[in-house]
Amino acid sequence: MIRAFRILAANPLSLIGFILVVLIVFAAVFAPWIAPYPTHNGAVVDFLNNNRPPSAQNWMGTDLVGRDIFSRILYAYQISLGLGLVVLAIAPPVGTIVGLLAGYMGGWVETILMRLVDVFLSIPPLVLAIAMMGVLEPTLTNAMLAVTVMWWPWYARLVYSIARSEREEGYVLAAEVIGASSFHIAFREILPNCLPAILTKMTLDMGFVIIIASSLSFLGLGVQPPTPDLGSMVAEGARYLPDSWWLTVFPGLAILLVVFGFNLLGDGLREILGVDE
Amino acid sequence: MSPVLDIRDLHLSFKGYGGLSEVLHGISLRIEQGQKVALVGESGSGKSVTARIVLGLLQETRTARIRGAVEFDGRDIGAMSARQRAALRGTEMSMIFQDPTSSLNPTFTIGRQFREVLGRRDPGIGRAASDARATQMLAEVSIPDPARVLAAYPFQLSGGMNQRVMIAMALANRPKLLLADEPGTALDVSVQAQTLHLMRELVDDHGTSVLFISHNLGVVREFADRLYVIYRGRIVEEGPAAAIFADPRHAYTRALMDAVPRITGGGLPDVPEVSEDFLAPLIRHEEDAA
Amino acid sequence: MSLLEVQNVSKTFHTDHGPVHAVRDVSLSVAQGECLAVVGESGSGKTTLANMILGILAPSSGRLRFDGADLPSRRLPDHRRAIQLVQQNPLSSLNPKRTIGASIRLGLDTYGIGDRSGRWRVVEEALDAVGLPPAMRKRAPSSLSGGQRQRVGIARALACDPRIVVLDEPTSALDVLVQARVLRLLNDLRVSRGLTYVFITHDLAVVRNVADRVAVFKSGQLVETGTTEAIFTNPRDPYTRSLISAVPVVDDDELSLRNSLAEGT
Repeated sequence: MIRAFRILAANPLSLIGFILVVLIVFAAVFAPWIAPYPTHNGAVVDFLNNNRPPSAQNWMGTDLVGRDIFSRILYAYQISLGLGLVVLAIAPPVGTIVGLLAGYMGGWVETILMRLVDVFLSIPPLVLAIAMMGVLEPTLTNAMLAVTVMWWPWYARLVYSIARSEREEGYVLAAEVIGASSFHIAFREILPNCLPAILTKMTLDMGFVIIIASSLSFLGLGVQPPTPDLGSMVAEGARYLPDSWWLTVFPGLAILLVVFGFNLLGDGLREILGVDE
Repeated sequence: MSPVLDIRDLHLSFKGYGGLSEVLHGISLRIEQGQKVALVGESGSGKSVTARIVLGLLQETRTARIRGAVEFDGRDIGAMSARQRAALRGTEMSMIFQDPTSSLNPTFTIGRQFREVLGRRDPGIGRAASDARATQMLAEVSIPDPARVLAAYPFQLSGGMNQRVMIAMALANRPKLLLADEPGTALDVSVQAQTLHLMRELVDDHGTSVLFISHNLGVVREFADRLYVIYRGRIVEEGPAAAIFADPRHAYTRALMDAVPRITGGGLPDVPEVSEDFLAPLIRHEEDAA
Repeated sequence: MSLLEVQNVSKTFHTDHGPVHAVRDVSLSVAQGECLAVVGESGSGKTTLANMILGILAPSSGRLRFDGADLPSRRLPDHRRAIQLVQQNPLSSLNPKRTIGASIRLGLDTYGIGDRSGRWRVVEEALDAVGLPPAMRKRAPSSLSGGQRQRVGIARALACDPRIVVLDEPTSALDVLVQARVLRLLNDLRVSRGLTYVFITHDLAVVRNVADRVAVFKSGQLVETGTTEAIFTNPRDPYTRSLISAVPVVDDDELSLRNSLAEGT
């Protein structure tokens, strides 16, 4: 732990990442208390104040129906982070189990599982998600589902490649000579050696999941109004550029900050956990 | 005549998260023209970092702090620019590593890699001239069919063959100094013996000076004229190889010698892994005529 | 009486470039309490033979007998327990993410030896037997030196209370001084526990000082066997001779032995 903080402190960029992530998570969790206009996360209309540039009352201006953009960004962070957490609670475990089985067992298990992974990876992720959302109703739950379906194969492939090389290590041979079960070898011996890479990838992926989810919303396939979402806020505002620049620039910056924060933190973690690519 | 390599009071420490840790505590070592000098020690003794300093590689590492003089052929390596040091490598000094197969580039033919090596000294060298020189060098390391080897990729050759190729390449530019870091340790014993024999003949013919880094006293005995025994970053005994093998005086050197199992039998020695005596001061053997 | 018998064993691997005969028609026996050295260079088949003895590989033909009965290719836990392994590379043979105690305990858990607290006692006894402090069981492998890790590897094999230990180049990755200590430890353990060793190595100088008998392998075949004394003073096969005369030596007695063997080649 102490070593981790030292490395973090010695590396200014990952420290910035860490601070950004902490601030954003804090802001999202306490949005109802921090937001200057907590009611603006829903269907509120205030045409007297619509489309105003940044001011002392509305730090980031107001949107087309007069809602405070800063407040909506805080609530949008709740949605983005929640979506990211759900995706990352499902995709990595699924991918890890598939990758471990394929990597350690080899043979036909490996062939079948990894071909399946290849099939998923050969479809461009956004296309797969758009196709799914076309069939399903565009709701928040389905957006999570779509992103999860396209995300797990990356973990399968990551864990598979680590398990393949760990399989050649002496400690695996030692366990095999002793006659330990395949379950023990895969999950108790090999898995702990995959965890640092998985954790690092999860941190880096948090940012990407948020981008993909925002992209879906931007295309009108994700979170539906009036629920605030960074992607749909950018999409709405895009038509009024460059005059009403605040409509797009602030939500855009918000996406940038959260992605940037998680990436920097992920790079720092990679060093702390000693993961080499 | 000035020595080919003159190291005086060399200190090295690394800066880590836990502060500075000293790895070399002031070592001095000299290699005269045509001399074959061995630096013998166990892992972590500082022998490999010494080689990296001589090659000018460690000077480029941000966390390394180097103090003391390293003179190559009368020139101070420490005072050179990174570029000047790089220019020395592969021309005036060259290196042979433990594992020959992994130190050759698998994607190029041996002929192509030879041209690259020869091009460092003679940038305009043509393919014909390079192949001719390479053929001659390969013949010197007793490779029977040089043309075939030049057209081959490293993975198509055996480990022993690659080791010979490495030796030929290392000597192709007629360097003044050859650094050999545990050469052949990755090879089978019989192949290792042959290549060492070959390397020795070749450096004798060329008059090349050698810094031979090894943990294996048997190998050193067959190769070196002079010996430096290093223990935890300090030279503990130095002198002519024959003198030290005949009469090892430092406790550490003696322990090292005793610890080697003999093919004549005699059982397993009872030698301590560590001892206060190993830290006793340097013992220098008199330079005798022998 | 021989504890382990290898009878006409062959192993062929089928590769993309055709069949590779890694071991060809090898017969050997190892007596209870004996140390048999299996010597050869890379590709000699010595590791394949070891893997067959350990039950990692099944022979293509021939059979293995242990304590008077056939060893099935699907080993029972009792067989696995009786034949343990010490590996060459102490860096890779211990899982970096598990404590030393957990690594040593694996065999006890797998074979169901003793109860929970009893197993920790066995682990601590095994550490003590190899000259390490029992409290070390809580440490991670990365905090140990190469020699200490190799001792842990030995403790792991011992904890299962085996009859035979296959030692695969157990000291070739170690420094000379550490090697000397570990070799002595192995010798003492063999005597005090009545263990039988199959000692796989390329280092003939080590063989000379630890083995009772020697089997020399070349390209998958057994070229010569005999007592250590006989192999070193009067090797009959030219290959054995060339192997011995390639050993780098440190003193003059060794040199004259080597030279006398080289003359005969």
